[in-house]
Amino acid sequence: MGSMFFGQYLLSKGAINREALIEAIELQRKTNLSLVELAVRDGCLEPQRAEGILTRYRTTDAGLEELCLEYGQIDREKLDELRRNQQSDWVRIGVALVASGHLTRDQVVEHLAAFHEVQHEANQQLEADFRACNDPETVRTVVELAVFHLKRFTNGPVKLQNLTEDGGVLSSGRRRYAQKLLGDRELCIALDLPSQVATVAAQGFIGIPVEDDSEVAIDAVCECVNIIGGHACTRLEASGFRLRPEPPFSTEGDEPAGELRSSIRARVMAGDHEVDVRVFV
Amino acid sequence: MTKWRVMTVDDSAAILTIIAAYLEDSEFEVIAAERDGIMAVERFAQERPDIVLLDLIMPGQSGVETLGRILAIDPDAFVVIVSSLGTEDAVHECLTSGARSFLQKPFTRDDFIDFMRDLTQVA
Repeated sequence: MGSMFFGQYLLSKGAINREALIEAIELQRKTNLSLVELAVRDGCLEPQRAEGILTRYRTTDAGLEELCLEYGQIDREKLDELRRNQQSDWVRIGVALVASGHLTRDQVVEHLAAFHEVQHEANQQLEADFRACNDPETVRTVVELAVFHLKRFTNGPVKLQNLTEDGGVLSSGRRRYAQKLLGDRELCIALDLPSQVATVAAQGFIGIPVEDDSEVAIDAVCECVNIIGGHACTRLEASGFRLRPEPPFSTEGDEPAGELRSSIRARVMAGDHEVDVRVFV
Repeated sequence: MTKWRVMTVDDSAAILTIIAAYLEDSEFEVIAAERDGIMAVERFAQERPDIVLLDLIMPGQSGVETLGRILAIDPDAFVVIVSSLGTEDAVHECLTSGARSFLQKPFTRDDFIDFMRDLTQVA
């Protein structure tokens, strides 16, 4: 069992059903406000400026607090107050499940203790998996960048679950968005995404609505991969690797499986969808 | 007000869309947008834009090759490389090949407009 969200863990243990989880997540969506939303609600940030901060958050490496301070005209004291309010009002998934009557408080406490134990083991396993990879530094760099940018582009929760080595075959119902990086070594990075996730990422990236599997959506996700690949080359340069990305491509086939020695598959949860980040080395 | 005439070159339609949207209602006008280097060189010869925003990694003719061909037509052409790749090697290669500046993707509208305005101080 890999690293996962608590709701997903409860589902896997049969403690709740999918409908209960969706209901609890909906309750969280209605109740939990981001720092930016709280600032707008409190009248210390104009909605237009908030939109600018959120765009900046999706498209740069900066954190939300840092952006609020820099562009939101919010001082540190106010920001700390907003953060405290956010934490005190934040409804976690366990609380949402209790509030919607699907679990008792005692049941949540009991499952949470078991979940933390499982997570601890899963995180240790994840570290061991990274270390055991062929070319661990490259794999870690690519996977961490992919998770980071997926979170930004989809503007939702994204969690790395586990790493495995396999043949690199594309699972059905997904499309592969990939880019080769050439230089001191040859590798290829890929995102294997179902269309729902690809569409959300494409919209987050371009900032306008796109249709599922449309040329614009596919192109935008290719560009997301291009950004991950470009940043991976930049980051790995500091470790002495000289890599250069090729133009990104999209396929419904298995390319480049078989061309390179092995495929490291990082299973990632993006919201309630499972996606794969792959590194062919 | 006379607008700065900009040509964008990127194999990604998404990036061309984003740049066009960012430059809307600004002092910059996108007068041409091309998705490959060969077409970009032809279009440059016809349009002679004030600023060329050129992607580095493109299928076929690369950004650096395209840059060389544009500069062969007009050695004073103002070409800026826009790329997700920000390695020292890449930046050095572009600048020594005649690019005037380098912008790493992704970028926000505000950052992009600020960058473009800075360019106009030297263009």
